[in-house]
Amino acid sequence: MKVRAQIAMVFHLDKCIGCHTCSVACKNIWTDRPGAEYMWWNNVETKPGTGYPTKWEDQETYRGGWKRSNGRLKLRAQDKVSALLKLFYDPNQPGLDDYYEPWTYRYSDLFDAPEGDDQPTARPVSLITGEYIDIEAGPNWDDDLSGSPVYAENDPNLDKLTEEERAQLFEIERVSMMYLPRICNHCANPSCVASCPSGALYKRGEDGIVLVNQEKCRGWRACISACPYKKVYYNWQTGKSEKCILCYPRLETGQAPACFHSCVGRIRYMGVLLVDADLIPEVMQVPDEGLVEAQRRALLDPYDEKVVSAALRAGISEEFIEAAQKSPVWKYVCEWKLALPLHIEYRTMPMLFYVPPLLPVMGKAIGKAYSNATEALFTSLEHSRLPIKYLASLFSAGNEEIIVAVMKKLMAVRYFKRAQELADVCADEVRKLLREADLSPEVAEEIYKMTALPTVYERYVLPPIQREEMMESFCDPDLCKGTAGVELVQLNRRSS
Amino acid sequence: MESFLFIGLPYISIGLFLFGTIARFRSSLYSISSQSSQFLEHRALRWGSTAWHIGIILILLAHIAVVLAPGLWTGLMSNKTILLVTESTGIALSLLCLIGILVLAVRRLVFSKVQAVTTNMDLVVLGLLFVQVGLGLAVALKHKWGAAWATGTVVPYLWSILTLKPRAELVTEMPLLVKAHVVGGFAFIALIPFSRLIHMLTAPVHYLLREPQLVVWSNLSRTREAVIAQAYDSRRFFLRGFVATGAGATMLAVGVMDKLVRFFQGPKLSKEQEAALMEEKLIRIKSTVEQRELEYERLKNDYIYVCRVSDLDARVGRYFTDFEMRPALAFRDEDGLPLLISAKCTHLGCTIANELSADGKILCPCHISYFDIKTGQPNEGSPAKSPLPHLDWVIFDSQGNLLAQRNSSGVTIETKDLALLLQQGSLYIVKNLDKRV
Repeated sequence: MKVRAQIAMVFHLDKCIGCHTCSVACKNIWTDRPGAEYMWWNNVETKPGTGYPTKWEDQETYRGGWKRSNGRLKLRAQDKVSALLKLFYDPNQPGLDDYYEPWTYRYSDLFDAPEGDDQPTARPVSLITGEYIDIEAGPNWDDDLSGSPVYAENDPNLDKLTEEERAQLFEIERVSMMYLPRICNHCANPSCVASCPSGALYKRGEDGIVLVNQEKCRGWRACISACPYKKVYYNWQTGKSEKCILCYPRLETGQAPACFHSCVGRIRYMGVLLVDADLIPEVMQVPDEGLVEAQRRALLDPYDEKVVSAALRAGISEEFIEAAQKSPVWKYVCEWKLALPLHIEYRTMPMLFYVPPLLPVMGKAIGKAYSNATEALFTSLEHSRLPIKYLASLFSAGNEEIIVAVMKKLMAVRYFKRAQELADVCADEVRKLLREADLSPEVAEEIYKMTALPTVYERYVLPPIQREEMMESFCDPDLCKGTAGVELVQLNRRSS
Repeated sequence: MESFLFIGLPYISIGLFLFGTIARFRSSLYSISSQSSQFLEHRALRWGSTAWHIGIILILLAHIAVVLAPGLWTGLMSNKTILLVTESTGIALSLLCLIGILVLAVRRLVFSKVQAVTTNMDLVVLGLLFVQVGLGLAVALKHKWGAAWATGTVVPYLWSILTLKPRAELVTEMPLLVKAHVVGGFAFIALIPFSRLIHMLTAPVHYLLREPQLVVWSNLSRTREAVIAQAYDSRRFFLRGFVATGAGATMLAVGVMDKLVRFFQGPKLSKEQEAALMEEKLIRIKSTVEQRELEYERLKNDYIYVCRVSDLDARVGRYFTDFEMRPALAFRDEDGLPLLISAKCTHLGCTIANELSADGKILCPCHISYFDIKTGQPNEGSPAKSPLPHLDWVIFDSQGNLLAQRNSSGVTIETKDLALLLQQGSLYIVKNLDKRV
């Protein structure tokens, strides 16, 4: 057992309202620079939809993630030799057009235009060339456009649906959608790290954050096609790759990352998971349907005595272990089994989990009225507006049973609370629902509290990253104050 | 000028390259990148970049192979088929490069998005590479079989530069194209640390051997703890590390000590070795003396004795050295009078063999050019293009009376006794005969 601590995340999609506050918070802090204008380390997509970059889930084109071959995991994008050939030209790298050409407006024209017959307008200009452009795409261009034949119907996740199911999904009165906020998954088995020819990408040992060493990056761009989530971006100005850093400078001072901090719907949870690094290659090789379960097997129970002693031996501090025990992520992923990884079939073992949304599944249109109550309760799952098959393609590598189990739990909690607050569901019905969902009333209450009423300290259980202690090993903290984070930034030397 | 181009420039370039590269790697790692613009434009880049890189990498590897193992290379190239294949592959690859870089250059000038990331240095680099590859191709086409002759000319020159004993004379006599290619090469080396060319020094070959995942511990003390924990878990790791480090350190120490001890002890030679060394030195000094005597003689005297007229032979020429210290040949012509012709090949300066073939021609053994000694003209299709010049001469008797002479206007015989001339006359070459007589 090789225990590693990993900062992991849960996004509760039922609570996401698609406001993009997270994206804007991130943009203002990190990517408001030349060369990074087009990057959205955090973005929110409408599903069904093609996403950003367009059709990022189409791995036939982009070849991200891992594949199984002869009992070993191999990068889908490259082997060692073809990696060197792809330095000159990478056929799988998305280009600027797959994202969008960043632009601004010539606002000054509004004030400086000479007097004329028309109102002055601020024309859009490209942020790359400075020339006038016609805007043809933008970040989240297909926002709220579910049902659109141009965008939603090209969602690669719809490939597994039958013609009939597709027709139903896009029937005008049944059209439904959900929001999918995405950041870097900080995978436990990252394909971007494995693909980097220069060895610039790495996983931080202490907290599992995946970073790009800007001094080592040589712009070979292998990571960009190798990341199946397209969350590594190429800065066209500096010639280096960049990605979400999980706001580690904020984490090191005990603050949640900017996108977490700013989340209006409070959909985000953050906590420590203990991962058995020895198991990762094994669990990521099982067939697609078993992947969700296999991933849970590699996550270690922080209350287990053996795990705790192995963690201490591996140099994980007691504060980290304590945080792992209080972690909301551990509860959502392993105790309640509500949160699922996004596209686990890419086999990168993502450390960002999603609680799938119940609302579009449960909602039905009866006549012209939208109805949220269900007379047949669980049978409605089979007739849900957003097909279970579609959710399974996103969150469980096609295994519908897992999604159904999650939906039953979510629904059971809802009726359990409804019976308590409104008393319009009979107690027997609720008991039956809880039994079928494999929940006790206590756990249902716990899930309700963590979903609806958590305080900020319950949502973000951040371990102290112990900067001072780390600094001590190479510099007196008193002397290095302000010059060092977890690593030495730059020593202030007296110039001669 | 030539000593600047072929001694000064190389050292300036190598110096700039070394200091520039070290400085850039030490101070500004962040600035080193391939600066790929595939993200902004990929259709033209696909063909341009692939063609250029494949061509130039193979060509550069071949250049390096010639310099590193000239012996092996010459051996290979003595096989006619291999030589032919190498030359044609080289020409094909350089064409591929030229097409590639042309596509890249056009792309850089046409697409406005690519222009947005184009620096002046990029244009300089593109231009230089284009000219340099073009020169290389021109050399290959105009002065054929470079794969064979380079080992005897340019390679020793490069080694003389690298071993700090520069011998510019090895290239100063070469054709202009070759010289330009050499100069271009050094300019290219000097540019590497100051342009995007530096990316070639970071070619990620180590990726072939790397483990897939990379975990970095920020906390140095924890890194140490992790190593210790790992060693605790698996003794093999520790033992392997220990043995490998120990073996490496021992070998390093033995190597260093070996050199150190020898340095302080000085060389130890047996009597025979010392004598052989001394003899070798003497021979070298003697040959230098001979060389200098010849030069002195040619500086001081207007006439240089070649041989007696009666000693000349019609079939086998006598070698002698002319006023410019170049080899020349003396034959007996059909009329019994001397015929003096330069023996320095007009192609690449080899010394021409002294035996006359049945059809009155002499052969340059280096690249098989036949020269007619009557006219000096090379045969059709030979590597040499210009004729060998004839030399002027005078014949004196033992009293110093002028018997005959040849100058630009032809041969004039001053005596009536032709037999005496042929038996007793002594043959001289003469400095500026036309002005003198």
